[in-house]
Amino acid sequence: MGTAAPTADNGPKNAGTDTGNADGTGGAGAAVPVFSVEGLWKVFGPKADRIPGDAELTALDQAELRRRTGCTAAVRDVSFDVRKGEVFVVMGLSGSGKSTLVRCLTRLIEPTAGTIAIDGEDVRAMDGARLRELRRHRAAMVFQHFGLLPHRTVLDNVAYGLEIQGVGKTERRARAAEVVAKVGLEGMEQRRPAQLSGGQRQRVGLARALAVDPEVLLFDEPFSALDPLIRRDMQEEVIRLHRDEGRTMVFITHDLQEALKLGDRIALMRDGRVVQLGTPEEIVASPADDYVREFVRDVPREQVITVRTAMRPAGSAEEAANGPAVRPDATVAEAIEAVARAGGPARVMDQGRCLGVVDAPALLAVVAGTAGAADGPAAGAVNEEPV
Amino acid sequence: MATITATAQKSSPPGILAGAAVRKLLVLALLAAVLVPFAVTRWSSGAWPEALTVDVSGPLADVSDWIIDNRDSHPLFLYFLGHVSNVVVIAVRAVYLALLAVGWAGVTAVAALVAWRVAGVRLALGTAVAFLVCGLLGMWVPTMQTLALMVVAVAASVLVGALLGLAAGLSDRMERLLRPVLDTMQVLPAFAYLLPVVLVFGIGVPAAVLATVIYAAPPMARLTSLGLRGADKEVLEAVESLGSTARQRLLTARIPLARKELLLGINQTIMMALSMAVIASVIGAGGLGDRVYQALASVDVGAALAAGVPIVLLAVVLDRVTGAAGARLGQAPAPNSRALWSAALAAAAVVAVAGRLAGRLEWPVNWVVGIADPVNRAVDWMTAHLYTGVPVVGGTADWAGRFTTWVLDPLRDGLQWLPWWSVLLTVAALAWLIGTWRTALTAVLAMAAIGVLGVWDQSLDTLSQVLAAVAVTLVIGFATGIAAARSDRVERLLRPVLDVFQTMPQFVYLIPVVALFGVGRAPAVAAAIVYALPAVVRITAQGLRRVDPAALESARSLGATSAQQLRQVQLPLARRALLLAVNQGVVLVLAVVIIGGLVGGGALGYDVVFGLAQGDLATGLVAGAAIVCLGLMLDRVTQPTERRAKKGA
Repeated sequence: MGTAAPTADNGPKNAGTDTGNADGTGGAGAAVPVFSVEGLWKVFGPKADRIPGDAELTALDQAELRRRTGCTAAVRDVSFDVRKGEVFVVMGLSGSGKSTLVRCLTRLIEPTAGTIAIDGEDVRAMDGARLRELRRHRAAMVFQHFGLLPHRTVLDNVAYGLEIQGVGKTERRARAAEVVAKVGLEGMEQRRPAQLSGGQRQRVGLARALAVDPEVLLFDEPFSALDPLIRRDMQEEVIRLHRDEGRTMVFITHDLQEALKLGDRIALMRDGRVVQLGTPEEIVASPADDYVREFVRDVPREQVITVRTAMRPAGSAEEAANGPAVRPDATVAEAIEAVARAGGPARVMDQGRCLGVVDAPALLAVVAGTAGAADGPAAGAVNEEPV
Repeated sequence: MATITATAQKSSPPGILAGAAVRKLLVLALLAAVLVPFAVTRWSSGAWPEALTVDVSGPLADVSDWIIDNRDSHPLFLYFLGHVSNVVVIAVRAVYLALLAVGWAGVTAVAALVAWRVAGVRLALGTAVAFLVCGLLGMWVPTMQTLALMVVAVAASVLVGALLGLAAGLSDRMERLLRPVLDTMQVLPAFAYLLPVVLVFGIGVPAAVLATVIYAAPPMARLTSLGLRGADKEVLEAVESLGSTARQRLLTARIPLARKELLLGINQTIMMALSMAVIASVIGAGGLGDRVYQALASVDVGAALAAGVPIVLLAVVLDRVTGAAGARLGQAPAPNSRALWSAALAAAAVVAVAGRLAGRLEWPVNWVVGIADPVNRAVDWMTAHLYTGVPVVGGTADWAGRFTTWVLDPLRDGLQWLPWWSVLLTVAALAWLIGTWRTALTAVLAMAAIGVLGVWDQSLDTLSQVLAAVAVTLVIGFATGIAAARSDRVERLLRPVLDVFQTMPQFVYLIPVVALFGVGRAPAVAAAIVYALPAVVRITAQGLRRVDPAALESARSLGATSAQQLRQVQLPLARRALLLAVNQGVVLVLAVVIIGGLVGGGALGYDVVFGLAQGDLATGLVAGAAIVCLGLMLDRVTQPTERRAKKGA
């Protein structure tokens, strides 16, 4: 899809070196990740501390763990990096621990074990003042049910984060007004949340997070409570914001379509663990296990998988010289159209260079889902989650 | 006893709890089989045995004497309670003088304009009319006295209640500590608070204000805590995620989010304070309540009514205005609200100054309409024509007499004839069946404490009145409630009546029953029934209407008749509401039955009044303690608890 396009070529290239980047400064030109999470655990229940360190207990599944200890492990040994400027999606069904995970990032929920670093700084070691500083300036969150203050106007809700920081009234209102305009709520500044529709309320929630100009935006299932049409509008809004500002985003969702649409990379969670981490294309093209495969079964593959994956090397110089040209990050669906029009194979062109060709059988194989088998071993390498 | 048992069984679904109930009863039967023969041989059967009573009147009298002797010399009084007392007196005096200085026109104007800004034009007019009626009835000065006392008492109650509520809302330990105390204070009759306060402060305005504060602060505390705890978790999380400090969270989120509960708390505190400020006339509150009290003492219904009407008007106005303020929350304020406020206040000031310049601060004497005499003539006519000998139906006095002879007397004698251990056993069985073993234990201990205090007979007399009143209240209340739940028209007709009746202070209910039935136990029971009915009707109707419509619809789709729907779906599903209605009915009835001591209800209420009137604080205090125990017992016996499954069985 278009949104994945700007960074889609990052995926495969970086995939192999990702674990190398975890220590921060590994690869040439690789910046310090915005968030770096390593071995994170969150266990709810009595004497939760003992569980992450106990090999016997960590091997148990949820039901057994609860029976033995009365504890629930919402997040289990999760590791990932969020790179600067990317949209990192954490996706999973309800109860998979994704909301707990995002709350651990700013310690709205205190993690049980593991490390979290923001720009290389240990979040778990922060004292109260430093943590507030982090929440005030570096990471702002958008909530599923908006979390607006019902007694304040739209403008004052948006300015609330600035008020908390101690910004003067005139300045914070001026800055809030700018953000209100940016999310398309002009003219509604003086309304109360109760007078807005769900979509408008979430725009206020988004504006409130944007108003503090954070380094990272955290979204906790922000559009789950909205109608499908409004949801699509809001997704477009987020895509637009990301394109305009390039802000790093961590996006929690249970909606696979949303994850594929927005995510540069997706971490798929189940029972507190990350079962696969990769680009949307990798997840759809080569599911790591049966659970993921079942999950992505109904995804229209031709709209996610790019021709870079579907192409084969050009058979001959003639083949590399003729036929319609498609970009390497074009989707299979786009290539099908080109191939159907031309009646022959299309060339995958990157800056005047022919990377390969896609023909009707290759494209059909993607649509039919039989292409995955051939890609399997190669794509398996990009699964970052070692477990 | 029979009545309560019957209702409890009726409202519990058969079958589900039968096993647990039988087990509980077996345990009790076993306990009884072991303990009763022992108790009977050791002491005696029949009324509470002498050997088990402790005479506390001696020590209490000593304490009372000591306090009276040391009130002017002991450091506790000199440096603490004396100051409290002085501050209260000065505050009430200051407010009273301020109200008089503003003059009747000024007070009416200020009240109406505040009502206009807070609650709209209609209530502003209503407020103005209410104040003018107070003047017309010749009650301006007593109204201002009551108002002054109220202002101080409400301010103190709100402050104390909000602070306690804040503590309970923010700290779990405080909540665990305060919750049971506040819950219990909520169910105790107002009369129970009078004597301890009088013991410390003597009869007078300070005692009245403090009793009012003790009575009116708990709802504020409870609702504050409830509001702080009930705030939307996600909003608080959002506020935290923006990096707020705990203080910022409290001031910008938690307290504003609790505004609805806070305003409801203020509303309830005002209503309770008014109720108590009127009752506290028996300990020197003065004002309207005192006029009613004096008039009732000489069975002067006309004078009582002249003072009672302003009380009712004050109650309705205060309730509606504060209620409207709560209902308007969340709406955007009018764009020019500040300008309108200033305009309103300026207008009020102009009226006040004009009144002052015109030299008309006091209500003009020739504007007073004396209703006492016409009313008394009407009452005399009623006494002559309706009291007795009306063909077929009989007279009101005949009804009262028959009710006393055929219901109250047998009930009282029956209760007093019952062996003391069987009363305890019945209390235990009822409380355990409806609640947990904890509530049963509390109830039994409370009942036993009554015996130990040596007021067993008086308490059973009060209890018999309570039971009779509750039985009548529940029969009428459930029937009316069911009718209101099933017919929108009945509900529309009932709503305004219930609204007014629920805001009236307990005390004024005594006026009409004295007019109709004279004095005695039956009028006290009648007042209690009228007072408790609205709450029972309302809770029943709401409970039935809240029954899941899907369940009702499915019953209808299966072809259930409306009687079947009611019996098999609505009543079982509304069980909790019905039990709550019983509980509320019992608590409210007790409060008024006790006050009935003022109009010849006798028993515990009379002991309190007697103690106050004769300065025999020991008798009064013992009766007060017995009232507390009785209230506790009745509340626990009728209190359904959720922890049944965990703890009860």
